[in-house]
Amino acid sequence: MKSMAIVIREDAYDKLLTPLVFAYLASAEQTQVDMLFVNWAVKALTVEGAANLRMDGRHAADEPRVREAVAKAGLPNDVYEILKALKATGCVNMYACSLAGAIFGVDEGNLIPEAEGIVGASWFLNEKAAKADHCQYF
Amino acid sequence: MREFTVTSTLDTSGKCCPMPIVETGKAMKAMATGEILEIIATDKGTQKDIPSWCERTGQTLLSMTEENGVFHYHVRKDR
Repeated sequence: MKSMAIVIREDAYDKLLTPLVFAYLASAEQTQVDMLFVNWAVKALTVEGAANLRMDGRHAADEPRVREAVAKAGLPNDVYEILKALKATGCVNMYACSLAGAIFGVDEGNLIPEAEGIVGASWFLNEKAAKADHCQYF
Repeated sequence: MREFTVTSTLDTSGKCCPMPIVETGKAMKAMATGEILEIIATDKGTQKDIPSWCERTGQTLLSMTEENGVFHYHVRKDR
């Protein structure tokens, strides 16, 4: 697999872990990974948003234990630190959906520098998702 | 008796997926072709992950052993 595209919609801390881990794994074999953050998940591409990610609903009370287990597994348990690690691989590009940015309050002013930028979903779907060897939606 | 010499060792004991693979990839990047990395892991997932990673990235898995839940892999960098 030479390339993978990932679209992330969920913004709960625990639900965000899986696509981030999959991207990390793919980068370990030099697979090019392009990630589009849509809907609420776009907030993860801001410092404040990443810091405020929480686990939802019936799993909410388990968050401290989950964060501890994530750290024990060797991953940073802070999402922004994981995003920095992904960027540092040189294989992962992260994009904010322009519509999601407009709705949920993410613009060039608060977008983390590790993100490539704010893009239209059409561009991502045609130029990244449709051309990737594999595409995943979370 | 081993028929090869380990160049460096990566101990991932206690860590879980994705870190053994991520750290193996980083360690391999820093090595020269022909050098051998020993990976120590306790994550059972590495039993499938390490051989599969080697196959996809063109490295050679020289050996894989397990003793008391600790896995030892020897991987030669071929590319």
